[in-house]
Formats: sequence, structure tokens, C-alpha cells
Amino acid sequence: MKTFSLYVPRDSLIHRINPIDKILYTITAIAVPLILPSMAASFLCMLISLSLLAAARVVRQSLPVFAFVFLILCTVVLIQGWFYPGNQTPLFGVEPFVFHAEGLMKACRIGIRVTNVVAAFLLLVLTTKPADLVEELVRRGLSPRIGYVLDSIFQILPQMMNTTRTILDAQRSRGLETEGSLWVRVKAFLPLIVPVVMSSLIHAKERALALEVRGLHFEGQRTWLREKRTYPYSREIRGGLLLVLTASIVWRILG
Amino acid sequence: MMQRSSWFRFSTPSLVLIPVAVGINYIGKLFAGTLKLPLWLDSIGTVLAGMLAGPAIGALSGAINNVIYGLTVDPISFVYGLTSILIGLVSGIMASRGWITGWARALVVGLAVGLTATAVSTPLNVWFWGGQTGNFWGDALFAVVLAQTGSVWLASFLDEVVVDIPDKLLTVLVAYALFRSLPKGIKQLYSGRDELETLDG
Repeated sequence: MKTFSLYVPRDSLIHRINPIDKILYTITAIAVPLILPSMAASFLCMLISLSLLAAARVVRQSLPVFAFVFLILCTVVLIQGWFYPGNQTPLFGVEPFVFHAEGLMKACRIGIRVTNVVAAFLLLVLTTKPADLVEELVRRGLSPRIGYVLDSIFQILPQMMNTTRTILDAQRSRGLETEGSLWVRVKAFLPLIVPVVMSSLIHAKERALALEVRGLHFEGQRTWLREKRTYPYSREIRGGLLLVLTASIVWRILG
Repeated sequence: MMQRSSWFRFSTPSLVLIPVAVGINYIGKLFAGTLKLPLWLDSIGTVLAGMLAGPAIGALSGAINNVIYGLTVDPISFVYGLTSILIGLVSGIMASRGWITGWARALVVGLAVGLTATAVSTPLNVWFWGGQTGNFWGDALFAVVLAQTGSVWLASFLDEVVVDIPDKLLTVLVAYALFRSLPKGIKQLYSGRDELETLDG
């Protein structure tokens, strides 16, 4: 069945790491700059996440996301450079659009933070197959029903997208205007979304009946379709991350 | 159909509603994009799930929506997961308290959801983007207010208000329109009344 996600299949060490460990890494990479609000800490975290992305050989796939982020960061540079409340040292530009040193520093700090957060999430998202992530979470105690919900989304979404395309074509062929003035486009929204929602909810009802018959609410020992996978370096990673977190908290308290 | 309680109605139909809610969110955003509407309209499903199946399912739909969206389209949506959770929660609570019995009341729900979303998103925006939202008109306002008053929080709040209030208002109204037009056979699945009637005397 067709599924879709940002996952990029590659044969790298980072792809073979336990998804839970990657989640823990993401949390640590975001938490450390929050605990240690110096620019050096954020910068270091950003560099580590970026080099891990390179090590996983998914840099090319992360570019579209970074391109989008970069676009917003450009407006951040303009707005903070011109209007940052702490601005004192004018650098260049004409009134009222003068770039100030403090604002540009602020923009730089925002840029590093955003890149760090996005890179940390991308590392998880690009190197982890969603199904593996869900399976590990269920083995760790997530309710199997929620696990089913997560897994099923990856199959239901493409189906709904297909229905959507059909309905868009059908309504257009009946003469629904989808282009023109704002009001025309607003009016077209309901005739498009209502049929999709109706048909998906009717399908959902049938799916609920089918699942109920197959024992989704079964209480008791469940078995696994796949054997438990072993992931490398799990203990080392968790120990290391815990060490980094403790160290940064200690640093914050002492420093 | 199965065990329920008033808050945690995690019956099979409710669970199956979650993927559909996520799908509706996607499609709302897709249509808003196709029709080039200046709003996101990407939480219609979350609000509808809250209206149909209660606050817990609404909140869960919101959380799962942003996780899935983060995994499939845009990792930044992880940051705004909390906003989504509260959107589902507030619409679910207000719906269960009888606030979806007419258009005027639905309008109030829309305002409440919009204000909640603003209240949660503003600190996230200040932390993440230094106050901006990434929406062109909102950010233009952000720049003007920041230049005039020098208050990042006020500027960021107004930036979020002008984008979020109309967006959530319309989202809730669309969700309410959908809710109204649903067949009884579907609403009944989530209504929580599962007493059996017997025809035998």
C-alpha cells in the first residue's frame, strides 16, 4: 500500500539506531540550549545535529525544509535588524530602515535556535520509518489501540487524498468555480470539503465495525507480527544524553 | 458499542475518528491552498472530532495531527503541538457543555478557540521565531507594532490575533456546518447513549 512520509531509506548507522533513542536525542538537543542560554551552546547543538544529518546522508532531503525556514529567517533578519527594541548601534541603511548591531545579533541567535530545533527534528523524521517508531513506542507501553491509530493514518491519508482529487474534478466538471475573486473561492470551500468529510466518516463507521469484530478492544496478552529488533548502542546513547543533560544543568546552577 | 465514560470515550468509533480528523485537517489545508485562501484552515478535523467525540478525542486528534504532520510534511509543526491539543480540548469542552446548538453560539466557540490558540501560540512564537508567525500580513503588523511600541510580546500577540482569530472562527464555523449536516446514524455512534431498548414485552 502506498504510504507517504519524509523518511529516506538509507543504510547508515543513524538509521539503525533505536527510534526512541532518536526521540531522546531530539529532546536533549532542544533542551540543552534552553538550560544553557548562551549562543555557544545553541551553536554547538546545531553543529552536532547538522553533522549527524550529514552522517545519515540525508542532507539533500532536508534542504527543502531548510529553504522554507531560511525564507522566514530572512524576514526575521529584516524586522529584528530594523526594529529590535534594544537597538543602539546603527550599522548601515537609511532612516527608518537602519540595520542595528543588536538586532542583527538577535536575528542571528533566533536563526541558530530555529536551525537547531529543525535539524534535531529532521534527524528523527528523515531517518526513522514511522512504522518502526510506532512499534517501538507500543513495545514501550503505548496503548496498542493508539498504535493502530498512528499506523492507520499513513494508509488512510493517501486514500482520502485520492477521494479529494476525485471530488475536486467532479465538482469542477459540474461547473463549480474554484478560481476568481476571493468570495468565489471562499464559496467553493464547502462544496469541496463536505463530500470528502461525509464519505470518510461513513468509511470510518464501517472500519469501526470491522475492527470491533476483529477484537480491537481485546484485553489480554497480544502477540507481535514482527520479531523484536535489536538496536545498536542503545545504552551508550541514553547514558551519554543523560550525562549531557545533567552536565548542562550543573553548569547552569554553578555558572 | 463498547465501554464509555463521559470524558474518555475511547470507543472504537472514537479511535477510528482520529485518523479521519487528521485527514480532514490535511484536506482543509489542501483546499485552502488550492483555492488560494489567505488562511490555513488546518484544524477543521480537530474541532469536528472534539464536537463529535468529546474533549479527550479532540485533544488526542490535535496531538496526533501535529506529530503526523511533523513526520510527513513539516517538522516545525512539532513545536505547535500544544496549540493543536488545546484547540481540540476547548472545542470539545464547549461542545459537550451545549455550545453548539446554533450559529450564534458556534461563533462564540470560534472566538474562544481563536483566543486559546493565540494565547498558546504567542509564547511559542516568541521563543521560536522571536515573535513572528511566518504569515506575511501578520508579520508586517508585527514589524509596525514592534517599531511603534518596542514590545515584542504585544507585537507578537497582535501578529497572532490577526491571523488566528479569523482562521479559527472560520474553522469552527466550517466544522459546525459539517457537524450539522452529518447524518444521525454517524452522530449517534459518538453520542454516548448506548442503552438498549427491547421490543420483547
